[in-house]
Amino acid sequence: MRVVRWKALGPLLVFGTLIGVLWWLFADRATKQAVEYAGAEIVGARVDVRAADLRLAQGSVRLSGLAVTNPDQPMRNLFEADEIVAHVRTLPLLEKKIIIDTVAVRGVRFGTARRESGALPQRSATSGRLAREVSAWAGNVRIPSLSVAGLAGVVDIAAINPDSLRTVDLARSLVARGDSLETGWRTELSQVDPRPRLDSARALVERLRVADPVRLGLAGVRSLAESGRSELAALDDLTGRIGRLDDRFAADLAGLRGDVQGLADARAADYARALGMLKLPSLDAPDLSPAVFGDMVLEKVQPILYWLRVAEQYLPPGLDPRRRTGPDRARGSGVTVTFPRPQALPGFLLAYAAADLELGGGGSGGGGGGAGAGQYAARLTGLTTQPAVYGRPLTLMAERLGGVVGPREAAVSAVINHVSEPIRDSVHLALSGLDLAAVALPAVGARLGLEDVGMQLALARMGENVSARILWRTNRATWTREGTEPDPTAAIGSRAWAEAILWRTVSGLRSVEIEARMSGSIRAPGLAIRSNVGQAVAQSLRRELGAQVARAEQRVRAEVDRLVEGQVEDARRRADDLQARIGDALGGKRQEVAQVRSALEAEVRGLTRRLPVRIP
Amino acid sequence: MLLLKLLQQLVRALNSDGTPGQVAAGLALGAALGLTPLINLHNLVIFAVITLANVSFPGAMLGWAACVPLGFALDPVFDAVGRRVLLDVPALVPFWTGVNSMPVLSLANLNNSIVLGSLLVWLVAGLPLFFVARLAVAKYREHVYQRLAQTRVFKAVTVSKLYNLYRLFQPE
Repeated sequence: MRVVRWKALGPLLVFGTLIGVLWWLFADRATKQAVEYAGAEIVGARVDVRAADLRLAQGSVRLSGLAVTNPDQPMRNLFEADEIVAHVRTLPLLEKKIIIDTVAVRGVRFGTARRESGALPQRSATSGRLAREVSAWAGNVRIPSLSVAGLAGVVDIAAINPDSLRTVDLARSLVARGDSLETGWRTELSQVDPRPRLDSARALVERLRVADPVRLGLAGVRSLAESGRSELAALDDLTGRIGRLDDRFAADLAGLRGDVQGLADARAADYARALGMLKLPSLDAPDLSPAVFGDMVLEKVQPILYWLRVAEQYLPPGLDPRRRTGPDRARGSGVTVTFPRPQALPGFLLAYAAADLELGGGGSGGGGGGAGAGQYAARLTGLTTQPAVYGRPLTLMAERLGGVVGPREAAVSAVINHVSEPIRDSVHLALSGLDLAAVALPAVGARLGLEDVGMQLALARMGENVSARILWRTNRATWTREGTEPDPTAAIGSRAWAEAILWRTVSGLRSVEIEARMSGSIRAPGLAIRSNVGQAVAQSLRRELGAQVARAEQRVRAEVDRLVEGQVEDARRRADDLQARIGDALGGKRQEVAQVRSALEAEVRGLTRRLPVRIP
Repeated sequence: MLLLKLLQQLVRALNSDGTPGQVAAGLALGAALGLTPLINLHNLVIFAVITLANVSFPGAMLGWAACVPLGFALDPVFDAVGRRVLLDVPALVPFWTGVNSMPVLSLANLNNSIVLGSLLVWLVAGLPLFFVARLAVAKYREHVYQRLAQTRVFKAVTVSKLYNLYRLFQPE
């Protein structure tokens, strides 16, 4: 029995030839499908190639009609290229390695419209996960709402009523206290009645005036003088008692008057309380920029984060075995493990690409070819799936050389260094004279047209941390009202009134500057937004609402005054009455006692002077 | 139709002129085509061996056809085996690094868990399969074939159009 079946050699050769023929027939299609498949895996959206021409003998691959869908806008392409010619090294293909020495790109257009959606029915596991994570982050970013509803009703004073005012209560209690004090003092005064003492003193004065010392004799004079002195002491005692009473009364009256004065403070507190009931909106300027531009900035920032994550995913650092889902097939895909080997060729390498791009003006707006028509020069080095094996970072430089329309200047530089941990990425982009598509700003009910925009992007990533600053600036902003024009005669405090303020503010702005800052973990960075529009809106609202608030305050004060004035006047009058009734009575008594004492003292001195001898 | 084809292959394999060893070798080699994902470099090699080696071609086709559903069913097992060998044995990393950097061999997709796992399972099961199949074919021819040859179905199968082409690959 022979081991080899020689007669089957013929059919086997035929079979081999058939495979060769099939390869020759379908290699181009296989290349096309491979590019479309790999592109869709990486981008997360459809990548279309009209035709591919693979010439292994010459080591060239020519792709025609490449269209890469923007994963965030499936009806637009990230870019299109009429033709891409790559020179591929042949021998590394036997190691399943794709080493591209040079690439030439012709007919590039950005942001062109698609005839059909480029969304994938189901994104690949990797790109789908990254898109979901970025989308989830965006969903968790808190964008404060700029609701005009909160601006309405600022002059509603219906909530103010007398029961809510402390001044009224306080004034009423002061009146009651005045009544109580008067009753008490009248009782005190009645207990200190000076009349008996005064009558006695006056009678003694009369006796002294008519007394004849000669007839009274020395003993009689001495007795009468003693009586006089004794009466003087009694009068002094009475004066002291009235004085002490007067002092206590003065203290009580001063306390009452102090409390009447304190009604002014209570009234000020009532003003503040009543104004607090108006629920005036907070108009801090930093809060308004996120409210106005939050959605727009998020839309611009999400692709940046997504592509950073894609770069991390497909250009990983280090030499550890890395796994990815196996190919789609009827059988299970399994997992495909790549084993990077140092000092060898990486699995994929685009060593150097230099492109002088001439973008035509036929694209649509929104960053399309029309907006960016001109000559560009781009240089890219070291795009590889195994940066640690290649050992050098990816660099990209692109600049605009000239053009008739679109940005005056455009410069991009990027260094994606994934050679080792931690990865270091930096991207700088500067554009000027750029016309951007109009941006809808629902918060202000308008569309913002941005022409002749200067844009700057500075991004740095170190390991897990990213920090970025994006700035858009223009002096040629245009505003288009969305929906109906606001009514300038709308009632103060109404929603229409508030919308009219917003529209008046923004529609006059020609200079617009928007700055977004992103910092923190690449998985969930913080986002801060600043803009002169937000600040202008805040100032305008403050100004407009400030006038309304001042008027409202005036009305509130008047209302408080109306409600408390009568009570305060009553309290003040009560204090005056008390002064008049009790104070005057006490004063009169003191004066009367003093007069009687003075007369008595004079008569006692006169009596002793009339004596021929001095008595002790 | 598929069932008829399978039946045809079964009949031809078991009753061909080949020895039970040749049929069993065909079955064992054909099992590789069914157990492992078909479009892979190693299957091209195995197909060439089946064609050129003096083994039963119908036996190989039978082994292929019989093992295709088995391959689908055992994919999770192959995946687990492949992952284990590729990822869980650090000592093998240099070996796999070398294999996957070797010209031509790196095209064999041996770094895919299912390709590698199914190939390993086939390599381990191939020899036992050969011996079991050889014994089974011998017993069959001794006890069943004579009675079966007289049936109408058997005669119908053996005169179908593919029979002549099949004879080209008949063991000599």
